[in-house]
Amino acid sequence: MGFFKKITIIGAVLTLISAVAIGVICLRSLPAPSLPEQYWGPGEPKADKTVIVPFKINISDHIIDDLNDRLELLPPLTPPLENANFRYGFNSDYLQKVVQIWLKEYKWREREAFLNKFPQFKTQVAGLNIHFIHVKPSKVPEGVRVLPLLLLHGWPGSVREFYDLIPLLTTPREHEKFVFEVVAPSLPGYGFSDGASKKGLGAAQMAVVLKSLMERIGFKKFYVQGGDWGSIIGSDMSILFPNSVLGYHSNMCFVNSPLATVKQIISSIWPSLFIDEDKISNFRSFGERLMYLLEETGYMHLQSTKPDTIGVALRDSPAGLASYILEKFSTWTDREWRSLADGGLTKKYKLINLLDNIMIYWVTGSITTSLRLYSETFNKAQFSLGIDRAQCTVPTACALFPNEIDYQHEFILKDKYVNLIQVTEMPRGGHFAAFEEPELLADDIWEAVYKMRLPPKGK
Amino acid sequence: MGFIGKFLVFGAGLALLVGAGIGGLWYKLSQPAPIPKLELQYWGPGKAKADDITIKPFKINVSNEVLEDLRDRLDLLPPLTPPLEGANFRYGFNSDYLQKVVQFWQNEYDWRSRETFLNSLPQFSTQVGGLQLHFIHAKPREVPAGVRVLPLLLLHGWPGSVREFYELIPLLTAARPGAGFVFEVVAPSLPGFGFSEGAAKPGLGPAQMGVLFRALMERLGHKEFYVQGGDWGHVIGSAMATLFPKSVLGFHTNMVFLTTPLSQFRLLLGSFIPSLVVEPEHYNKVYPIVKNFMYILEESGYFHLQTTKPDTVGVSLRDSAVGLAAYILEKFSTWTDKDWRSLPDGNLEKKFSLTNLLDNVMIYWVSGSITTSMRLYSEAFTKQYLGLQIDSVPCIVPTAVANFPNELSYTPKKIAEDKYRNLVQFSHLPRGGHFAAFEEPQLLANDLWDAVENIRKIRFQSLSKIKK
Repeated sequence: MGFFKKITIIGAVLTLISAVAIGVICLRSLPAPSLPEQYWGPGEPKADKTVIVPFKINISDHIIDDLNDRLELLPPLTPPLENANFRYGFNSDYLQKVVQIWLKEYKWREREAFLNKFPQFKTQVAGLNIHFIHVKPSKVPEGVRVLPLLLLHGWPGSVREFYDLIPLLTTPREHEKFVFEVVAPSLPGYGFSDGASKKGLGAAQMAVVLKSLMERIGFKKFYVQGGDWGSIIGSDMSILFPNSVLGYHSNMCFVNSPLATVKQIISSIWPSLFIDEDKISNFRSFGERLMYLLEETGYMHLQSTKPDTIGVALRDSPAGLASYILEKFSTWTDREWRSLADGGLTKKYKLINLLDNIMIYWVTGSITTSLRLYSETFNKAQFSLGIDRAQCTVPTACALFPNEIDYQHEFILKDKYVNLIQVTEMPRGGHFAAFEEPELLADDIWEAVYKMRLPPKGK
Repeated sequence: MGFIGKFLVFGAGLALLVGAGIGGLWYKLSQPAPIPKLELQYWGPGKAKADDITIKPFKINVSNEVLEDLRDRLDLLPPLTPPLEGANFRYGFNSDYLQKVVQFWQNEYDWRSRETFLNSLPQFSTQVGGLQLHFIHAKPREVPAGVRVLPLLLLHGWPGSVREFYELIPLLTAARPGAGFVFEVVAPSLPGFGFSEGAAKPGLGPAQMGVLFRALMERLGHKEFYVQGGDWGHVIGSAMATLFPKSVLGFHTNMVFLTTPLSQFRLLLGSFIPSLVVEPEHYNKVYPIVKNFMYILEESGYFHLQTTKPDTVGVSLRDSAVGLAAYILEKFSTWTDKDWRSLPDGNLEKKFSLTNLLDNVMIYWVSGSITTSMRLYSEAFTKQYLGLQIDSVPCIVPTAVANFPNELSYTPKKIAEDKYRNLVQFSHLPRGGHFAAFEEPQLLANDLWDAVENIRKIRFQSLSKIKK
């Protein structure tokens, strides 16, 4: 073999090996990081007060009067452009109607009594007073196991999203050998939970705090369910504490890794490589998804970079806060509603219930701390943890609701969620699954946990 | 042919293919787009009506009611979430410092005296394209014999206003010894900003605003004029120079921003072969690309939101005076010097006085124009508007670029020349950021005088050649 021939062959082989190596390095999964417990309160770290104190929402008259004054002082709003509907954001003509209902028909004291119907508590974890709902099943038949379930909300949601779901989980079902005991906290910085005083409380760090919360309550092992940030925190918790999380259910399963991106791009060009023919019509191309995300992630971009700036206006203007939050309840429930003059808000929701959620943000003044979850998670420090690329070995179930902002199919999910017990394609519903379709979600959770408790196949 | 020979031929063929590919792409991207034709349209509510062409004098006169309402709102500001420990301005406007700004606003800022100051320049209002447009019209007081009066259209941006030009305008309307010309300045509030009416119909993007301003200048008796602008003022001025080369005698800008495929392609190539793109002394302003890209990503959240949901965020900014101040003043800190994000007060008062900064905020507040101002972003990024491809249409009007060192982004001369084919001046100023007119009026004025001097010299030279 000539010298040049040898060089060429060696060169080609080396190039091939490098290409594969680069591919493997870029696309491989990373080990789970470990995160210590940290102190998030003000000043020097202090020991937590470990007492669990019962909590009842009891807002002063002053706050309610102040709110009504502000709503009455809303200046005339710029009218929407002709035929704009919801395409430039929340339609100000419709917002005036919402404000009128808020002033005249929404009765806070009644809603407060409603919100207090579940037993609630506060306890200090990692320097923060964490608020949580804790509902035990009322009558547990003989032989039925009570399983602790941590229920995690997101932004711009709150524990209010779970009020119809919780009874569906804590009520025993015929023929089922288990029932749930639900712990639904307000995320740190949301609603009645303290926000951090120190930088760095991102999703992964919240997972540490909330796992400690469960341990404080008395649960060393538990199931986790979440959507939006709740889904991300639940996923992080499963990766960080696989010995604590018995099972993870999400209505917004999402993988953010180089491999997932590569698969997304390839499957856009050649879907049949990855997905069944009969599912292709349900399939959105990479370009379509990207355009939609670009149109809809302005808020995310702003909150990830300047939460404190926008937080001022949202803290000072209840109508502004309502517009900012309710826009999501419209678009993320059904993206077609952007073509409607009222954003279709009352098609699946009652304004009273939507306003409950807004009030939780308003009466606690927690909008800025809630926005900071974005800036504390979407940064170099959090990405370098590598948790996005770590695999989750905990039994996982994904409920795919068709109007979710974005979702991935099983062929992408299984690379991260290696113990994927169930993937359900839901017949209807959007991002706020618990709020919009509590029964569908509850059924899927029961089904998932049932499967998770079956002995592994082959035994 | 032996194996080696075949391999060499293959290698050469591959190299030729890649070269041809790059060359072909370059050629395709450099193809100029045609000049779009834009007519004067009606932007008011309902059916199109003829404009009321009378030019009415205008004086700012805010009612006591508005001022008392503002006072109440400042008093009723709820306690703000304190900044994270050590955050300074890195998560946005620092709420501890904001309380100080609010106190100043409540106790020391005196609107009536500011109103008198703002009224010190002659202002007018007239209807163009169905919209009542407000503008400052400042004529030179004394015009020495033999000195030409040149009309100059001065265009502001977001979150600015005509307030940015109050220190600049006197430097333009005062005759300079040795100069053969002096300026007559027309500084409008952009439609939807301050005292200019906003559109009721969708579609009023920067180019369409340019059509309105050309009609405005014609109404004032100026068929030909110079244009100066930064921020959106640059985008609108650039569109005017591109669309109406017969109307625009010269275009001066303090913020070139090009995102055409060609400019991006060139920028990318330049990271391998810098000499194709930028001189060594300006290399660090452009490269590494990733660093600049990350900075733009950190600072463009507002841009992304306003481009997509202006009406949503507009509600809170209309209802909260302090919220509006935080949203706007954050830019006057960061865009003047990005390093100020590490300071607890954003160093806001280093180059500006709080009084002057609040003048600008007040213009947005008293006119209730924040939502209409933000819609300019969404109208500039619709499919229809982008389809005009105005940035890809060559601009043959004599152009001057003033590069201030702390501007948000830097476009190298070689890339600017793809678009501005008649670049007569490309200066690098010693200091200053995005709000050049407001922060460094003297530097900007001098650069503008030089530019127009250059443009006139070149024109007279070519005219005299023709005459010969």
